[in-house]
Amino acid sequence: MPETSSVVARPPELLLTRVFDAPRRLVFEAWTKAEHVSRWFAPRPFTMPRCEMDFRPGGVFRFVMRAPDGWEHPFEGAFREIVAPERIVFTGSIEEGNAVVTTLTFAEHDGKTTLTMHQTFTLESSSTRGAKEGWTLTLNQLEEQLR
Amino acid sequence: MLAEHLDATFAALADPTRRAILARLASGEANVTELAKPFDMSQPAISKHLKVLERAGLISRGRDAQSRPCRLEGRRLKEATEWMERYRRFWEQSFDRLDEYLVELKKKERKNARNK
Repeated sequence: MPETSSVVARPPELLLTRVFDAPRRLVFEAWTKAEHVSRWFAPRPFTMPRCEMDFRPGGVFRFVMRAPDGWEHPFEGAFREIVAPERIVFTGSIEEGNAVVTTLTFAEHDGKTTLTMHQTFTLESSSTRGAKEGWTLTLNQLEEQLR
Repeated sequence: MLAEHLDATFAALADPTRRAILARLASGEANVTELAKPFDMSQPAISKHLKVLERAGLISRGRDAQSRPCRLEGRRLKEATEWMERYRRFWEQSFDRLDEYLVELKKKERKNARNK
């Protein structure tokens, strides 16, 4: 294998972690009901005129985000796996057809909760499991090589 | 439309052989024979991967009918990187709001506990 193969060694994915100053029970709760999700999902100044979710395995969700200029952007999907209060897996479509699989894990320590979000951008998620680094970094590295 | 590009780009990038081909092409042009060498794969199999990469706009191929050298096309990859960056920011800003909202939820919980 060529030496540079490590540069593009990882499939398209996104890995984000965030520590919240709240118990896991509460952080998990914030993902489980439309009344909660509609309060924080999507950056300001977006609003959510539509937020419906059926929080159970196989249940679907339908969000619509609205930009200040009136442009509306749908985000729909289904819950695949729910293990309260540890883990949520959902699939969704973004940008008209790009399938995204999102795995959320909630871990509590000293009253704080670490939320880890792992997203893969194709449905071939089995091949991407266990990957530790973000795809963004990998693409950046390749881009640097191109310069 | 950017969305269609992304779909094709992500699908093309999902395969480890295709990513390895791109990595090889990052160090310069190569033809099918040269690309097939490091992989335990037939030339037709490599050609199939090259077609996927070409359709996704990630590579272009020379006109020369014999060797048709492959070149990495950085623009589509750059689009994908930029899109990922915007997408990451989307979630980070959502998490900022979740952080604020949790403060509110905690307050509400304390208040309810007191009223019990």
